[in-house]
Amino acid sequence: MIGRGASLSELMLEALSNLRGQGRRSVLALLGVVIGSAAIVALMNIAHIAQIEALRGFRQTGVDLLSIQRDAANGPGLDVAHLTDLVAADPQALMVVPFASSGTTMRAGAKSYSGAAAGITPQMNDMAGLIPAQGRLLAPVDGCSPVVVVGRTLAAELSAPGAAVEPGSLIHVGGYGYTVVGVLNAVQPQALSPIPFDDAALMPLACARRVMPHDGATGALIRLRPDADAAAAAARYSAALASSTAPTVVRDAKTMIQAMRKQMDMLGGVLVAIGSISLLVGGVGVMNVMLMTVMERRREIGLRAAIGATPGEICLMFLIEAVILALGGGILGDVLGVALTGLVTLFTPFGFAIDWTVLFIGAGVAAAVGLVFGLYPAIAASRIQPIEALRAD
Amino acid sequence: MVPILSVVDLSKGYGAGDQRVAVLQHVSLRIDAGEFIALCGPSGSGKSTLLNMIGLLDRPDSGEVRYENASAAPTTAAASARLRNDLIGFVFQSFHLLGRLSAWENVALPLFHRGVKRAERKARALAMLDRVGLSDRAHHRPEQLSGGQRQRVALARALVGEPRLVLADEPTGNLDSVTGAQVMALLRRLNRDLGVTILMVTHDRDLASQCDRMIEIHDGRVVPLAEAG
Repeated sequence: MIGRGASLSELMLEALSNLRGQGRRSVLALLGVVIGSAAIVALMNIAHIAQIEALRGFRQTGVDLLSIQRDAANGPGLDVAHLTDLVAADPQALMVVPFASSGTTMRAGAKSYSGAAAGITPQMNDMAGLIPAQGRLLAPVDGCSPVVVVGRTLAAELSAPGAAVEPGSLIHVGGYGYTVVGVLNAVQPQALSPIPFDDAALMPLACARRVMPHDGATGALIRLRPDADAAAAAARYSAALASSTAPTVVRDAKTMIQAMRKQMDMLGGVLVAIGSISLLVGGVGVMNVMLMTVMERRREIGLRAAIGATPGEICLMFLIEAVILALGGGILGDVLGVALTGLVTLFTPFGFAIDWTVLFIGAGVAAAVGLVFGLYPAIAASRIQPIEALRAD
Repeated sequence: MVPILSVVDLSKGYGAGDQRVAVLQHVSLRIDAGEFIALCGPSGSGKSTLLNMIGLLDRPDSGEVRYENASAAPTTAAASARLRNDLIGFVFQSFHLLGRLSAWENVALPLFHRGVKRAERKARALAMLDRVGLSDRAHHRPEQLSGGQRQRVALARALVGEPRLVLADEPTGNLDSVTGAQVMALLRRLNRDLGVTILMVTHDRDLASQCDRMIEIHDGRVVPLAEAG
């Protein structure tokens, strides 16, 4: 208080000792706040994890990326030479990685598997983060040779006992024989790469035409400068590559991420609103227990008032108690919320993560609930008249 | 004699309109430093109301309670509380100790609300407990103390803030006669040793006769000395 009276820290110590004295009832009163803040913490944390998972799709390729996809079913594929010229003339673009991909049946010995034949250039190795489990990746030296690098699933499906698909094996793709030069590690699917690498047989793009239904590329990834305006670039390429017979879709990573974020935020907002309702109910619980406390401690309040506690001091005393009570509930809610998050990640493919700001929000919101709902009981306490409270009984 | 308190033409009533009951009518009195005064009167005579006025727990309808050298009559609840904390020590019939706190913490309560630091609070509370002969009970809780001990703790609490006046409302009312006599003796001794001014409400003529002076209230008026017992 100003100039006189017990200090804030003293009042806090006093509040703690009072709450300890109440024991079980304090804990019961907290239940609503605990559940409310646990719900908020869990929900916001799960939204956070979902966002991490969504962004993981861009971890390998990065976000300064344009994806071009052409539906070449009824028209020509992308003209790789034209695309290369376009990118070379664009000061905002660094590199283009074209590819052609098509569903095909592949055979090795008596085994067959429906996968994807994909023509790529060696730049794709870096862009997609390909790592060979056996053998090597495609290199410029492969030129137009009939060699393939096979994905992990494809290799496993085509392998027979005693006849594993490994570097040196021969497999048939669309009726042509190819020599396997490498087998890939499992590849984390990326949001903007349309090649299912685990199921694919990768061959040099230059001579992929013989196993593809159409000429040219079915898609390309364009790496932009980090400061480039991705949305404008997407519009530019979309216009330049437009074809009346083969629909072309150009997407940019940043716009996709923004759209995902927006969706997440909306979802998170709804979830937080639900949690807030339970917090509201918890707040009523706090108010209830504080009113009971004030009623029970009428004589104490009267005595303190008689011996010199001002109404403001008494009000502050009970307000602090309410806030500490609710804050305790908020911290319990944090713990419970994190536990709930862990439980959810056990049953989903998501990895566990904690957004620390969410914990502060959980505890802070609970404390605010205590402040708001503690105000009425605290004011009621400060209005107690010592004469009435102390009347001998 | 140095006056510490003057009650001037004090009136107080409760209720409204025709139902209004005058509890105190034109009461005037003076209390000098170091006095040990008994305030007597039958139930409903208005002595508790007078005590509340003197204790700044209630406000008069007219007239005033004036503490010498104190600021003008307080106008807000907070100002009254501050003034009570500075000037007055309270002793109640039913002790009103806080069961959650130890004896010394109870004693230190007025200092807590005065904003005195904990170390000093404890030192002063322990010294005062020593005064009332309870230094070995400082860390006991009220429930572990006998009635007489509790009232002595309450007495220490009333004195710890070095008030100008101790208001004791039937301090022996809840005690048996032996313990009551001990508490009375202690009051008497503290009055003499520390020079505290004490105003004690009592029904007990015998206790009243042990005081320096007796003020008798009847039907809301002070009974002139000549008529008093």
